[in-house]
Amino acid sequence: MKDVIKKEVLFNHSIEKVWEAITKADEISTWFIKADFKAEKGYEYVFTSEPNEKGCTTISGVVKKADPYVLIYTWIVADTKIETTVSWQLEPTGSGTKLVLAHSGISNYEGETAIAMFESFNGGWDNCINGLTNYLKEVINAG
Amino acid sequence: MQDKITKLFKAIADPTRRDIFHALIVASTALSISQISNHFEMSRQGVTKHIKILEDADLISINSIGRERYCNAKPKALETLSKWLKFYEQFWDSKLENLGTYLDNNSSS
Repeated sequence: MKDVIKKEVLFNHSIEKVWEAITKADEISTWFIKADFKAEKGYEYVFTSEPNEKGCTTISGVVKKADPYVLIYTWIVADTKIETTVSWQLEPTGSGTKLVLAHSGISNYEGETAIAMFESFNGGWDNCINGLTNYLKEVINAG
Repeated sequence: MQDKITKLFKAIADPTRRDIFHALIVASTALSISQISNHFEMSRQGVTKHIKILEDADLISINSIGRERYCNAKPKALETLSKWLKFYEQFWDSKLENLGTYLDNNSSS
């Protein structure tokens, strides 16, 4: 068992277009999470979920690398102090772009801390994600 | 000092230890060191070394009854890891699906 989540996705879009979608604040805010983000090394970004009655949390971190086409930032949920790392790597393919996303780092923490983090997820963050997914579905259906 | 979860990864990195842990889960009862060494055709010393590492990682507990020591599986230690993986597997699947839809919508308009 490993502590890394890795996802590979192929898009029928140019590498520039995918790069913009994952690095520009207004685009990130549309498909991912409301973002204060700049693709500059050292930038302290904040992702904020749509508020709801459960009390949603934020995700923050520091951009470690933002050179086309590799984007790496740390990922800290609310005040958990648990720093994990998310990396996005793009590669051109014949007809589009391959994205490799990796999320790692939970093995740096003690069991109790990690468990506390999940309890906070169950309380709020989970609901925020569902809310956002539904919101995006509505937008897509309306359009 | 090693973090608990680091010990956990070290413990489950070894295939023999995974097998011992699995055997204890399947048995769903305590197994003695003799039973484990018979089952795996391994020396008591070999088994003792492995179960010590599993105990350090909080994956098993060891109780002495008379002259024999009995091991019990403690699968709770793995919950942290599986919860994290489960949560973010789902999270990223959903987000990357959004990204694909976003890219498709934007190019057609």
